[in-house]
Amino acid sequence: MLYGVAAAVSIVGLLDSIYLTVEHLAGRSVRCTIVKGCSEVLSSPYSSFRGIPLALIGAGAYFVVFSLATLAASGYKSAGKLLPIVVGIMFLMTLWLFYLQAVVIKAFCQFCLLSALVTLMLTLLVFLARRLER
Amino acid sequence: MKKALPFLIIAVVLVGAVTIAWSLKQSAVAPPVAPTTTNPSQPIAVAPKTGDPGAEPAHAVGDAKAPVTLEEFGDFQCPPCGLLHPVLKIMEQEFGPQLRVIFREHPLVPTHQHALAAARSAEAAGMQGKFWQMHDLIYENQKTWSNAFDVRPIFEGYATKIGLDLEKFKRDLSSETVSQRIFLDGKRARSLGVQGTPTVFMNGREVPFESLPADRLRVLITNELRSLGK
Repeated sequence: MLYGVAAAVSIVGLLDSIYLTVEHLAGRSVRCTIVKGCSEVLSSPYSSFRGIPLALIGAGAYFVVFSLATLAASGYKSAGKLLPIVVGIMFLMTLWLFYLQAVVIKAFCQFCLLSALVTLMLTLLVFLARRLER
Repeated sequence: MKKALPFLIIAVVLVGAVTIAWSLKQSAVAPPVAPTTTNPSQPIAVAPKTGDPGAEPAHAVGDAKAPVTLEEFGDFQCPPCGLLHPVLKIMEQEFGPQLRVIFREHPLVPTHQHALAAARSAEAAGMQGKFWQMHDLIYENQKTWSNAFDVRPIFEGYATKIGLDLEKFKRDLSSETVSQRIFLDGKRARSLGVQGTPTVFMNGREVPFESLPADRLRVLITNELRSLGK
């Protein structure tokens, strides 16, 4: 059941990352608002890795999580074993990206924060699911 | 069938994700959709807003009698505003006496740490009659000073470059007049419901953010002129 919820949550992350990828590639970025600074974050040198928008890598990761969670929910045990590894890496990335926004870029992008929230939720869900399985 | 179901779901989501990404990308580069009314040159069907008055006299370039006025609420440190700057210059060149462009200060504090200093510098330059020269220099060099620790010497350098009296410039930076101008522009922004920057109004109606690229803005201005019979 928890894997099913994780699959549903990862869709949110997937849609969010797709939107960010398109915004990044379109180059226009989003408007600056009083609280958020999406353009600063998306146009910073940290928003790409070897020329690939980070958002696209994120979209790929969410799709992998969705796939693994769907398979785990259907009883594929090996998928359930891979999930914590993938989500764990995403969790560490989230911490790093949050640090970048808070301390280095000094601007937050609300869509990036949404992704961070989704990853946190996925981390909790997968952690709980693994504990319940033992 | 049960074994195939999860794979089917994954495939559907993959196709859905790619489709959404593709259609988002298409709408990001598509030309503006013409209004689907019987009169194709009908302007955006929203009542123009008047709002509270901003700083007077407003910083305006172009003929005061120009039929189309673009009013930008801008933040000098906002990257999309920096991208809009050359677009507006192109529009000014292309539409000549038919277009008037007004700039209103809308520094996003504290999101942009140097935005207020930039706004003050532009306004202080304006007190010596050189607002637009300073405005242009600040926007054109946005990437240079945005991440600097101390922007004061940079903006003082610009002031010298455009031939301002540096001592007067420095005094005016912290003057009541400059503060009041920025305050009044901010009041106007709030009265018009400005949510972020850049926000552009064409003859009192907000131009959608997606329509700010040159090729789309050109069409909007042309349509507006046509609807005014110009």
